[in-house]
Amino acid sequence: MKTCNYCGVELENNMNFCPLCGEPVINKNSDSLEYIEVRKKEQEKSALTSYQKLTKMQKRKLFWQISGIILLSGIVVTFLIDFIGNQTISWSKYSIAVCTILFLNTTMISFWYHRLFLLFLGSFLTTSSLLVLLDLFNGSVDWGVKLGIPLLFAAYVIVFILIGMIKAARQHGLNIIAYCLLAAGLLSICTEGIISLQVMNKFQVEWSIIVMASVLPVAVLLLFIHHRLKKVTDLKRFFHI
Amino acid sequence: MNNTSHKTYESKQFWLSLDNAAKIFPATLTSEVTTVFRISVVLKNPVKINPLMKAVENTEKRFPYFKMLLKKGFFWFYLEHVSLRLPVEVDNQLPCRKFLKNRPLGRILVIKNRISVEFSHILTDGTGGYEFFKTLLIEYSRNCGASIPEDFQYFRPGEEVSEEEYEDSYKRYFKQDIPPIIKKSKAFHIPFPLRPFPRFDLMNIIVSINTIKAKAKEKKVSITDYLVAVYLFILQEINEEMSGLSHLKKKKVIRIQVPVNLRNILTSQTMRNFSLFVMPDIDLRLGHYTFDEIIRRVYHQIRLETDKKLINKNISRNVGSERKIYVKSIPLFIKSLILKAKYYSLGTSQYSGVLTNLGKVNLPPETAEMCDHFSITAPPPNKMLKINCGVIGFDDKLVLSFGNITKSKEMEERIIQFLKGQGVEVTLEN
Repeated sequence: MKTCNYCGVELENNMNFCPLCGEPVINKNSDSLEYIEVRKKEQEKSALTSYQKLTKMQKRKLFWQISGIILLSGIVVTFLIDFIGNQTISWSKYSIAVCTILFLNTTMISFWYHRLFLLFLGSFLTTSSLLVLLDLFNGSVDWGVKLGIPLLFAAYVIVFILIGMIKAARQHGLNIIAYCLLAAGLLSICTEGIISLQVMNKFQVEWSIIVMASVLPVAVLLLFIHHRLKKVTDLKRFFHI
Repeated sequence: MNNTSHKTYESKQFWLSLDNAAKIFPATLTSEVTTVFRISVVLKNPVKINPLMKAVENTEKRFPYFKMLLKKGFFWFYLEHVSLRLPVEVDNQLPCRKFLKNRPLGRILVIKNRISVEFSHILTDGTGGYEFFKTLLIEYSRNCGASIPEDFQYFRPGEEVSEEEYEDSYKRYFKQDIPPIIKKSKAFHIPFPLRPFPRFDLMNIIVSINTIKAKAKEKKVSITDYLVAVYLFILQEINEEMSGLSHLKKKKVIRIQVPVNLRNILTSQTMRNFSLFVMPDIDLRLGHYTFDEIIRRVYHQIRLETDKKLINKNISRNVGSERKIYVKSIPLFIKSLILKAKYYSLGTSQYSGVLTNLGKVNLPPETAEMCDHFSITAPPPNKMLKINCGVIGFDDKLVLSFGNITKSKEMEERIIQFLKGQGVEVTLEN
């Protein structure tokens, strides 16, 4: 009787693979080429997977640290060049503001990955403040508050709902493409609506309604195909009370 | 809810509505509170994989109602039969992991000389899981060459599956117009801080059945009564030693939930959930209890609460609330939110600990010859309960299996110390 080296169960003599864990059965004591080959592959595998062995949280932390180093050094370098060259802070305030907001966003993505609402709220607030800051650097608060923040808000809300719907979907197929198309159509309407409100003081949509009219039939068709292909659930089961 | 469609279980597509006890579990499911329990055996020799695979194949045919998927309906969850095999996996991950979506609610786990089965409580209770495991082990030993006495009672593969085995027996014993049950006060909960994820950890303590039986006999009680009394006594100690500030906040009633197998009290052959619980308690506002006082209290409370009429009252309360039309007609996603809140407020908040005793394992002699000891792991405790305990006996070995999600092992250590102090020898499972 042979024993599996990995899960310790007893195997039949004629087995080459363990049916439980799927590992090949090799006589470890022999100096056979087969054993040496397997050992080599194992070592390569263990070297390759040290990154893969990290948990998802550890990977996100690593991403956060690397992006943090890059962004912070960007801030320091641009500040120094600007300050030494001009004896004052002039253009570097733009890069410093952008890098700081980017850093805040990567931090939120890394640590609030599973808290979607918090992540979106935080990201929206910081990005809005960036728009206001950029406006302030230019001397007057105008574009950022009137157009930037409403547009940003519409985009965040639509993407948030889209992600929620994708997460809630039981099967991921053509329905996801349909959702994305609808979201794009909706975003166009919001964009044109917000701009028209600012420029002409009235809600008026022209081109975006054409976008919506063309994506809508495609989305409906995709949804139809998706749900038609799905295994049909017995209604009596589904609605049993 | 008359879903007779399951009568033809041979047809591949039968389905079952959840039984009364299972209805709350899907609402409370998380990756930590998995509602999955495990029964394990440690054999004297390494597991032979081929005989085991064949045994699994035979056994799962005898229990078609354990090959189910959990599905979402509009008003309730339901179970749908699948022809997928129950997975046989290497047991090298955390015990009692959650079952993934669209996967059967049972699995068989093997490593070295240990075989385990894990089932979701949505599907069955400890007794159901135990009967499946028993058949699996007997089949395994038969495939390894053991002979099984003809008159030995167990669920034999090849037998006809009785309809009663997958009925919801709670419904059978439901009686209308029974007065409501008075809500119990909130109980004390262990104050230890939680471990970081994944929180669940296990500790198995092995004691001699004969010694502990003698100890229980000295006090004229059963083993379960004795162990529940030890549990209560240790919780009392922890409660009394809490620091000043938390002392003010703490609840003064200590209560243990002890599941009771209703098949022993009411006639039923069901293999789905059919258990309720009794809750022996001590009220610390009345002063410090000695161990002997606790034992007497536990003994009488358990006898009193397993009265047939009282059990019927409990069943009728549980089933009655499920039968109300306004409860039925709430859509599932709202119902789940309500059930989850109720689970904590009416469920866990009322007891400080859980002790479930599956009793002594009974196997044919040649099968028993192959086994060393058994253990049962209760579903991982939630954040309020923190620690629970499963008990099972075999031969002369009684295994107390503590599931714990806190950083501290104080509770287990105190119990070991107490048992040692009583003259019971304790060993830890490796």
